[in-house]
Amino acid sequence: MLDPRTKLLLTLAYGTLIALTRKPEWLLAQWAVLLGAVLAMGQFKAYLRWLAMLAPMALFFGGVTWWSTDLPTGRSAAVSLIAITTAFFVFFAGTDPEDLGNSLVRAGLPFPVAFVMTAALQFAPVLGRKTRSVIEAQQARGIVLKPGWRAFKNYPALLTPLLIQSFQMADALAEAMEARGFGRTGRSFRKVYRMGVLDWLAIIGGWAAVWGLATFVVR
Amino acid sequence: MTDNTIIDVRGLTYRYRREAPHPVLQNISLQIDRNDYLLITGRSGSGKSTLCRTFNGLIPHFYGGVLSGDVVVDGHPVSRTAVADLFDRVGMVFQNPDVQLFCRTVEQEIVFGLESLGLDRPAIEDRLGTALEAAGIDGLRQRAPQTLSGGEKHLVLIAALLALRPRVIVLDEPFANLDPANVLRVRSLLKKLHGDGYGIIICEHRLSRAAPDATRVVVVHQGQIVADGAPDQILPQADPQWGLEAPLATRIGTALGLTPAPLVIDELEGAAPQPDLIDRLEPPLPEAVGGHPPAPAIAVEHLGCHAAGRDLLKDISFTLAPGECIAVVGANGAGKTTLLRHLIGLQRPTSGRIRVNGHDSARIPVSDLARDVGLAFQNPDNQFFRFTVDQEIRVGPEALGKLESAWIEELVALFQLADFRSKAPYRLSGGEKKRVAFASALAARPAVLALDEPTAGQDFEFRRNLRIFLRQMQARGQAILIVTHDLTFAERTTSRWLLMAEGCLLADARPEQIMADTALMARAGLEATDRFRLARRWQPKGHHA
Repeated sequence: MLDPRTKLLLTLAYGTLIALTRKPEWLLAQWAVLLGAVLAMGQFKAYLRWLAMLAPMALFFGGVTWWSTDLPTGRSAAVSLIAITTAFFVFFAGTDPEDLGNSLVRAGLPFPVAFVMTAALQFAPVLGRKTRSVIEAQQARGIVLKPGWRAFKNYPALLTPLLIQSFQMADALAEAMEARGFGRTGRSFRKVYRMGVLDWLAIIGGWAAVWGLATFVVR
Repeated sequence: MTDNTIIDVRGLTYRYRREAPHPVLQNISLQIDRNDYLLITGRSGSGKSTLCRTFNGLIPHFYGGVLSGDVVVDGHPVSRTAVADLFDRVGMVFQNPDVQLFCRTVEQEIVFGLESLGLDRPAIEDRLGTALEAAGIDGLRQRAPQTLSGGEKHLVLIAALLALRPRVIVLDEPFANLDPANVLRVRSLLKKLHGDGYGIIICEHRLSRAAPDATRVVVVHQGQIVADGAPDQILPQADPQWGLEAPLATRIGTALGLTPAPLVIDELEGAAPQPDLIDRLEPPLPEAVGGHPPAPAIAVEHLGCHAAGRDLLKDISFTLAPGECIAVVGANGAGKTTLLRHLIGLQRPTSGRIRVNGHDSARIPVSDLARDVGLAFQNPDNQFFRFTVDQEIRVGPEALGKLESAWIEELVALFQLADFRSKAPYRLSGGEKKRVAFASALAARPAVLALDEPTAGQDFEFRRNLRIFLRQMQARGQAILIVTHDLTFAERTTSRWLLMAEGCLLADARPEQIMADTALMARAGLEATDRFRLARRWQPKGHHA
């Protein structure tokens, strides 16, 4: 298996390729490859939910680009955004955030920085559940929080409890981490992270392919 | 101080902020031995959790504040020792397990502390295996902690501490959100660990769960230690000002003049039966007045819910009339909350229907259903967003166009909110927040008041006051439905129970009828209350509940 750092570098390479691609048919092909990976990983339902959240942002991005340039560029911009973020969806679906964090520590990243990154990933679903709980608590007393104009003025009812509880959770998490030795120096790691020949070959091969495709094929 | 002392608290006084008018802890001196199973108790806000946070140096290093005196842990004064150098001596589990589980798998949770210690790989593997086995959670190794039950989460946290091989394990209200089966599971692990030589310190105000296992109890009242000794010595003479309720067995034993005072009802084995004494100490609910029952406020007819490939609710039917107070009881995962979510429209039935005030609720949006069903969730923080308590209570009826200022004033008086109605809700204590949430749920004058685990984490005083509030609301004709696994509270508050297990309604009957059916209770994963068990034991031969 590849080291998490290799996976990250390959994802960055693929993202770069997408960002450099101008031909719409190639953009779609790159997205299709990623969709294949999503299907192979059995993550299609999760991907659709994630796509539903991303779609408005992609449309907005595409719309602004269209407004400032032209329709084909706007269309490509929207697809590029979706494809690049899909590449990272595939990366995170196939990489344990703790493995990623620890391997980056091995590469020289300070542990607190790596931990903040992995903890943020861990707590994303917790915050998702908290958001649902707040919406339900407000709806149960007649405050509408479904998308729409009527709900717009009620958003403080969602954002205030969410924000305050996020701070409370961050405090409680910091306390719990401290109580489990977060601040201690001389940390060891159970897993050994070592970049092997296969990792280096994958990185060099991946970036060389991006350079080749970007120079001769997809632009 | 003896050779056995592991924590030595010396004249400790502490303020969270320099400008605070009163210290949270005042001149506390306490020696804790390595073989103590210590219960630190006291009403909410008495300072017991603050005291525990000094044992591993979180106070003063994490919280700041002003500390005088000191706490010496295993020879190290905490004021001059970093938390990182104390965490493998004193392990601590906090009240809310969700925010303490920050890794992807159970295994990684346990390994985190071992990596903090800088152990090498073989040592990590060795300690990981031992801790998983000691906590009895080897089967959960690869599970995501957030998917576990409340009891399992606590076991994981305890295992994470065991791996560090601390001298003492401190647990802050470990039973607050657990159902009876999980309470027993955690209790039996703690007893085993104490037997294995670990010091155990528990912060808890529900004495019936914690006192029987403890070898020593310390009572904290207004930041000071007011009692320290063996539970059977201290609890019989509990001062009413401390806001504690001794276990029923202790109160009965004290009334009978038994020494040492019993802590569990099995210790009353040889005592002469006195059924009247039970009724005097814990008066039964008055019998319902007969007569033609009014039209139900809510009628659930053959309700079913199928989701994610399984039946979450199966053929549930019951009614709730105005002026009735009933409890939905069952273990965690029995379907109680799913049922509640259907009543307020957050989930819709896949079969059957729910009539609220005679109308099929399936056609009513959630935000409109709030006119008829007022729900107070377990965590009131999920709803607070206004600047003052007063605004917070009014916001629901304002949104529904049902604001009646006179009614709001009545609620403020009923729930004793007048003193802090202009305060920010987030600045209130846990019990005060709950009262604001109850008033908010009733502010639009709903036909049904539903309470989700209203007593979780609340002390004796809160539970006693809640019973009074609920009786008053009942007398006004309010239909009340309480979802809870606190059977002691349910027995003393409600006249009817809906017993649930695996999404089914196993029984709809009076509490004593349900508790008399031991097979049914076992199927639901519940145990009869102390009051019921003692009353059965003491009832004259030939009588049956």
